[in-house]
Amino acid sequence: MAERFDLVVVGAGPAGLTAAIYAARARLKTIVLDEGLPGGQVKTTHKVSNYPGFPEDVKGSELAALFAKQAERFGARIARAIEITEMELKSRDKRFVLDEEEEISAPAVIVATGAKPRPLGIPGETDFRGRGLSYCATCDGAYFEGKDIHVIGGGNSAVEESLFLTQFAKSVTIIHQFDHFQAEAATTKEALENPKIKVLWKHEPRAFVGDTTLDSVRVENLTTQATQDLKTDGVFIFVGMVPRTELLKNVVPLDKWGCVETDDAMSTGVPGLYAAGDIRAKKFRQITTAVADGTIAALAVQKFLRESRG
Amino acid sequence: MSANVREIQASDYEREVTDATAPVVLDFFSTECPPCEALAPKYEAVADQFVSRVQFLKVFRQGNRELAAQLGVTSSPTLLFFKAGKEHGQRLTGDIKRSEIKAAVEALLG
Repeated sequence: MAERFDLVVVGAGPAGLTAAIYAARARLKTIVLDEGLPGGQVKTTHKVSNYPGFPEDVKGSELAALFAKQAERFGARIARAIEITEMELKSRDKRFVLDEEEEISAPAVIVATGAKPRPLGIPGETDFRGRGLSYCATCDGAYFEGKDIHVIGGGNSAVEESLFLTQFAKSVTIIHQFDHFQAEAATTKEALENPKIKVLWKHEPRAFVGDTTLDSVRVENLTTQATQDLKTDGVFIFVGMVPRTELLKNVVPLDKWGCVETDDAMSTGVPGLYAAGDIRAKKFRQITTAVADGTIAALAVQKFLRESRG
Repeated sequence: MSANVREIQASDYEREVTDATAPVVLDFFSTECPPCEALAPKYEAVADQFVSRVQFLKVFRQGNRELAAQLGVTSSPTLLFFKAGKEHGQRLTGDIKRSEIKAAVEALLG
């Protein structure tokens, strides 16, 4: 027999956990499902400096844990490290099977599965993942103590994580396609003044080369079109994110970037089905905007349930 | 920790992995690694399913740096699979799903 909830939230990042806080406080029986631990991308961000209420920087993992604690305090259940093995989202009664065994259902679902690191899609990337290539500085930074490493990208994540990696690495060379960073001015300044950080402007990676472990990264100089192989002990890739819409791709239409279109109440158009956070088609993706989406979605769900129950 | 997952040290590697007759799964984990924490309950659940057929081991990377370097492991978590003491199939790394571990273990037995 399926356990009944008022609301199932898929994804325990800032959007999903905020939705759970609002829903649980409104006395909705709420469960949040996540493939890993709560926190979404925040939990692997080494520090957060622009989230209001934390005038001193807060570690991403701490902020993530606080979001989860607050949701649980009001009675939301967070199901950690589970996998959705079956689901039905279009019907009035929405159903999920978790890890092939536990069945749950609810009239309302908020999908807040967020985004994952964008792969570069160049030769060698799959082969050397975990053998010199990484997408998570907090997870793998310590493997590169005293090493010479490369970072690919030039946005906020790339530049901030490069700064974090200087704690371990002997040198960090950032490979970036443009002649300036897209990161915030304060972060950019800090990076350019850091003696351990070098930048290879107007270069793009073309391949990862090595035998069983990564040995070098092949780069192209975008000005001269010349390629060369740069010896490296490790490469971290931060070139943006792609929405995690596997759950919704056959349920609602996606835009050309794979994001879900919603109205301003986060409704997908399927009754009872909402989307919130980085998965949505929108211009800016921040912790604060995810939190706002989660709030709106939870309020919209309350209204939907009141109306559908008459 | 499930009784079916044992933690080993680099000094046990030969005995527990390369000299083992039964198939082995080895998990390199680190601290301050959210995907490692997320993996732990899934790893234990799969270990419980294959108990007595496959050995599920874990090794703490920070305490066993040389072994990680020797095996070319540069990311946590990384799962390695061994059949008759030889590495078998693809490694799994990063955000690993329970169904992926199960499929890899079934391939190891197949």
